[in-house]
Amino acid sequence: MTRIFRKSWAMLALLALGQMVVVPSQAHHSFAMFDQSQQVKLEGVVKEFQFTNPHSWIQLMVVPSEGAEAEQWSIEALSPNVLMRNGWKRNTLKPGDKISVLINPLRDGKKGGNLILVTLGDGTTLGGGA
Amino acid sequence: MKGARVLTAALLSLSALVAGSPALAAAPQESVSPQPARLPDGKPNLTGFWTPIGGLMDRNFGPGAVARAPRSAAGGTQVPPAPHSPLKSPYKEKYEDERAAAARGEVRFDPTAACLPPGMPRMMSAIYGIEILQTAGQVTITAEWQNAQRRIWTDGRKQADPEELLPTYAGHSVGHWEGDTLVVDTLGVREDALIDQSGLPISEALRITERMYLSKDEPGVLINEITVNDPLVFTTPWSRTYRYRYRPELNLQEYVCLENNRNVDPVTGAPTFDHD
Repeated sequence: MTRIFRKSWAMLALLALGQMVVVPSQAHHSFAMFDQSQQVKLEGVVKEFQFTNPHSWIQLMVVPSEGAEAEQWSIEALSPNVLMRNGWKRNTLKPGDKISVLINPLRDGKKGGNLILVTLGDGTTLGGGA
Repeated sequence: MKGARVLTAALLSLSALVAGSPALAAAPQESVSPQPARLPDGKPNLTGFWTPIGGLMDRNFGPGAVARAPRSAAGGTQVPPAPHSPLKSPYKEKYEDERAAAARGEVRFDPTAACLPPGMPRMMSAIYGIEILQTAGQVTITAEWQNAQRRIWTDGRKQADPEELLPTYAGHSVGHWEGDTLVVDTLGVREDALIDQSGLPISEALRITERMYLSKDEPGVLINEITVNDPLVFTTPWSRTYRYRYRPELNLQEYVCLENNRNVDPVTGAPTFDHD
């Protein structure tokens, strides 16, 4: 096991180095619209899950305060090619599912953001690929 | 072989362990090289699926994995530009304007956001990986990103006369082998493509040289040294190096950008965030 661990740490070190010298990835569009200095956690009910290119979307109904009417949030996540390699499936989210999401919110204050991770009803967490 | 199998199993359980820990994300499996190592013509075998080292497919790979690093080293929203030489006027002023807008959080038009191909050399940044098919007289590269494709003619033909070429996103590429290095010359890239997400521009004078070879030190690592020579845009030629890891456990996935693009206004082409 020692050898394996050594290899893995060497690999992690290599990865860390790689991140310093390799330009961060480009995705479909600029992420300037999202405030990456802020993280917001939302709990809500899935209205729709679009597992699509170039990006996936979760339409999430969120009740802002007790007794208030639910508001719809648009949560953007990366494309199925990335998400499936991270454990997502097309039916990971279904309408009516109660979930929580961690997002970088839109800068303009509208109800939307970029998914960092989702926590499913059974406690499973999945990365949004961001 | 038995030892290798045990090692693989141990590595798999290790990656499962690591994948459960968001702080570490997942290490990719031990690297392997394409087999056979050489094709019947004696050239190194580059055929297969490759992902950029340190990129998205390394950074958060495996069930439950979460990105370990913010999108840029500064923790901000800007992707650092390619390590280019100084720009010449008028490209310099236009580019500075683009950068200032990005720093203010403004989203400017990017052809790839409208589902147009990234083109050369941008497609070789290969966010999701590239599939290389090496056949007699031709090397075909498909980037998973936008399904962008290019063909490198290795049948001995001469580079085309730029005056005769219709500019395309991928440009016109001819390649030859210098020992175990595939040397590729590319001309005829469209001027409305961009070199990178920062908006580095292209002129009709763009000429790209690539030197692709398998690392002698690291098994399963492909190196691509790209030199950008655009005397109208840049003061001197400049180079950058991409390193890709062979990933036989992955396949190129379909990526049809027009399927559900909520990031560009379909009428004006302006960047947007469609709330429905």
